[in-house]
Amino acid sequence: MELNQQTLLDMLYYMKLTREIETRIERKLYRQGKIVGGVYVGRGQEAIAVGSCIQLEKDDCICPSHRDMGAFLIRGITPREIFAQYMGRKTGVSKGKEANLHMGDMRRGVVAFVSMLADTIPVAAGIGMTYKMRKQNNVVLCYFGDGATSRGDWHEGLNLASVQKAPVVYICNNNYYAYSTPLEKQMAVKDIAVRGAAYAMPGIVVDGNDAIEVFKATQEAIRLARQGGGPSLLECKTFRMTGHSAHDDVKYVPQELFAEWEKKDPILRLETSLLQQKMVSEDDVKKLAARITREVDEAVAIAENDPFPDPAETLEGVYADQNVEAPLAFAKLFFSQVR
Amino acid sequence: MAAVTYLEAIRQGIWEEMERDSSVFVLGEDVGIYGGAFKLTEGMLERFGEDRVVDTPISESAIVGAAIGAALMGMRPIAEMQFADFISCAFDQITNFAAKCRYRWGAGVPMVIRGPSGGGIHGGPYHSQNPEMHYVHTPGLKVVAPSTVYDAKGLIKAAIRDEDPVVYFEHKFLYRRLKEELPDGDWTVPIGKADIKRAGSDVSVITYGAMVHLALEAAATLANDGIELEVVDLRTLLPLDKERILDSVKKTNKVILLHEDVRTGGMAGELAAIIAEEAFEYLDGPIMRITAPDTPVPYSPPLEEFFLPKTSDIIRVARQLAAY
Amino acid sequence: MPSNVIMPQMGESIFEGTLTKWLKKVGEPVKRDEPLFEISTDKVDSEIPAPASGVLSEIRVNEGETVQINTVVGVISEEGTAASPAPAKAIIKEPSKPQAAQPVPEQPAEESEPEPEPLAAASRSVRSSPLVKRIAREEDVDLAHLEGTGLGGRITKKDILSHLSGRQSAEAPPPDSARPQGSSSDRSLAGSSEVVPMTAMRKSIAEHMLASRRISAHVTTVFEVDLTRIVNIKSQHAQEFLEREGGKLSYMPFFIKTVAGALKEFPVVNASISGTDIVYKKDVNIGVAVALDWGLIVPVVKNADEKSFLGIAKAASSLAERARQKKLAPEDVQGGTFTITNPGVFGSLFGSPIINQPQVAILCIGAITKRPVVINDAIAIRSMAYLTLTFDHRLIDGAVADHFMSSLKKKLEQWDEPLF
Repeated sequence: MELNQQTLLDMLYYMKLTREIETRIERKLYRQGKIVGGVYVGRGQEAIAVGSCIQLEKDDCICPSHRDMGAFLIRGITPREIFAQYMGRKTGVSKGKEANLHMGDMRRGVVAFVSMLADTIPVAAGIGMTYKMRKQNNVVLCYFGDGATSRGDWHEGLNLASVQKAPVVYICNNNYYAYSTPLEKQMAVKDIAVRGAAYAMPGIVVDGNDAIEVFKATQEAIRLARQGGGPSLLECKTFRMTGHSAHDDVKYVPQELFAEWEKKDPILRLETSLLQQKMVSEDDVKKLAARITREVDEAVAIAENDPFPDPAETLEGVYADQNVEAPLAFAKLFFSQVR
Repeated sequence: MAAVTYLEAIRQGIWEEMERDSSVFVLGEDVGIYGGAFKLTEGMLERFGEDRVVDTPISESAIVGAAIGAALMGMRPIAEMQFADFISCAFDQITNFAAKCRYRWGAGVPMVIRGPSGGGIHGGPYHSQNPEMHYVHTPGLKVVAPSTVYDAKGLIKAAIRDEDPVVYFEHKFLYRRLKEELPDGDWTVPIGKADIKRAGSDVSVITYGAMVHLALEAAATLANDGIELEVVDLRTLLPLDKERILDSVKKTNKVILLHEDVRTGGMAGELAAIIAEEAFEYLDGPIMRITAPDTPVPYSPPLEEFFLPKTSDIIRVARQLAAY
Repeated sequence: MPSNVIMPQMGESIFEGTLTKWLKKVGEPVKRDEPLFEISTDKVDSEIPAPASGVLSEIRVNEGETVQINTVVGVISEEGTAASPAPAKAIIKEPSKPQAAQPVPEQPAEESEPEPEPLAAASRSVRSSPLVKRIAREEDVDLAHLEGTGLGGRITKKDILSHLSGRQSAEAPPPDSARPQGSSSDRSLAGSSEVVPMTAMRKSIAEHMLASRRISAHVTTVFEVDLTRIVNIKSQHAQEFLEREGGKLSYMPFFIKTVAGALKEFPVVNASISGTDIVYKKDVNIGVAVALDWGLIVPVVKNADEKSFLGIAKAASSLAERARQKKLAPEDVQGGTFTITNPGVFGSLFGSPIINQPQVAILCIGAITKRPVVINDAIAIRSMAYLTLTFDHRLIDGAVADHFMSSLKKKLEQWDEPLF
């Protein structure tokens, strides 16, 4: 994909859309009691998901994590689906079975992650191996945070992907904190990218708040993968501008770090850059903001009125053939209406 | 067809499926060039190539994770755990990823995880385990454990064709000890159906795996004394064939639950609860369990012999129950 | 529509929050998503936005108060409308209620299994098993009267089943009492079928039939009988019988009379089994199965061997009439020693009936049809019928059964009894 004006405008759109949806979720709906359970946002890290995912083709695949909402949107998951998902409605992508961004759809090339982060690392390797087996030219982008790189599965997955030359781009969102644990308590290396060498793959440090740099680094890694050159590891350095989750008061982060990184806000940087290059005007920016507000308002209004799933659906979807007795037997004890 | 061993039957089943369906492939440690630690996959690399018989690093978690990725894409991977004991290294991928995809986001994971379980070969704690219940305890999985050559072939084929993740425990003690002539043609054994290996009127012995053969031995001895055992082979541990189990209990009114797995948290406890709940008024005697004790599997032969259930145990308990 | 403003759950383990500051006063207009109040919890302090636009019409929780999550802290009404009266607010920490996020488990739907009948006090103190107790309940056996051969004198399945086969109590259907239904797995699923509870009679027939199959060793033998003679006699005397007795002359009395005679010849077919004893009955009481709209009943013609043809005919028709009008007395259905069933009237050629416990045989009469048969090497058209005897092979061997039937056949084919 070419990094032309349309691509840049699309990137700006998706980053702003992500920011608006996440703000609505974290600062409004959650505090209004309309979303229950865990809420995790990627404020300040939007460039990583958007700059990389924007360039995928239809049959490519992503294994995103919880701070990559922009990637979900680019793959075709709509704001209404996202709000319905967060509010546990039947119209959410997981039909109420799962929370927040724990969702996926193989038809749109999105694998749903599990909370055991780093589990998707070998899964991505397997998808890449499948592309190879089928002689397809496709790639899979696998996203994870700095925290996940400490797990065994992360290392097993990178190792397997590299020895099998699987067409995967491993993209690390290093936002410096794993919950309350800063990087220096997680690992002895300064850059996660050096771990690439352990698996004979390129390990590149990227300014995660520069959408264009993210785009270019990913572009190179994708090219390598499609050519059969195997996986790459991109370490996108950024900063987590919120708590780990919406109920985290983040007292463990020195406040001056927030001020410092606020200045490097990825959306602001891209917008400023586009304005300076006259690819957009102030008026365009205003119109874009209004458009996004309208889209999000509409999506919230619809999703808020979407129905909850029926309690009996608790027992559905465990197996392909629901003639399996085990879950249904339980239903007969309590739900007289269950067939 | 000439008679084949239990191990050969599994190889045949996998081979036939790989011929039949190009999306089926095998991955695991030493499965390719070496033909598998037990030679189960011998010849497959030569026939199907590196792409479909993948030698992996020692990474059970990544082996299963990669298989999940491939299955999500519509392939039908068979992930081998060299010894079923090592399946614990992939516990997270199996129970949290593979088992829950369909429920959470409607995505099928048509994969098989297979490995040799069970003791009696002086393997010690890490080459003799029966880890099945960890997976029976996980909704979304299917768990099978064949006891005969016929069932081994039929069930591996059914497992490969199943749309959900199947954990297939083959009993290593039976690998070369059982030999049977198998019918020609394409046939499977359905998952979720138990099998009456021996009909009887006096005491039902409900069991699976290698223990089926001990039960049949005991039955032959007891028949001389006019005690007729009915041996019910579960074949599938999840989902259980409750109908056939309860039918047998209602017929004989006396039950022995037998397994090689340790006692606490073993299948016998689950079966006993089902029987007590749903067939209480058909019981003419207490539900009896014959299991291994709650210890790791010991190595030294006299210790392992003490550990494993014996035919004499079955005979003794059956006599007691028959006289109750 | 007024909107409730609630204390939100800021974190999975949080169950209460303190309202630290209201940012609006009662009566002030409020815009949706505008900051409305501030809270403090164990994890975080937060500014909470308004869930709707309108006017803050009520404040129910004041600054400084700590309430459970999901408590209504205030109400936003549409401009110009009054708020609804406030219910009492829950401020104090109550013992943990289920959080809104977690579904409250429903109470089980009304118990669809009827309570099993409480066991007789006597049987409780006797050692047996759930199976034995159930059989005792279903068959109305007092376990206190049984000898147990099991461990420690326990009454086993064998003990109670052999007791049942020798029991001399009523052959009538067991008394109607609530019995537990089968396990939940027997219950038919709603959806494509209709579930109707059994009537008392149907229940008792079901139990009796099943018990009979459990108890006896059912074997069947079939004989073909030439009834031409009886058919002719019947048609010759039908009119006369009607005029003299005021009722229709049917085939049944012929059969009852001949069977009574045959039973006197072969008393073992008129006996019953008690444990390992054979009980030869002195009376010949022949039950005749009557099909009713609502079920099946077997009224008994007492001492059939002592009655004349006419006596039998009268008794049989009177019983049938009373059966149809539901006017049978208990003694009408008790004491039978042999049973005849006649599905021939419905067209059945022959059958395999179930023995009526504690009897040891049952005779089934098939339809009487004209058939070509060979007599003296020539073909003749005769009125033929198949007679089926189901007998209990525990007591009656095939040879005995066949002799009995042979005798019966001969008597029927050579009927020469006077009717009046």
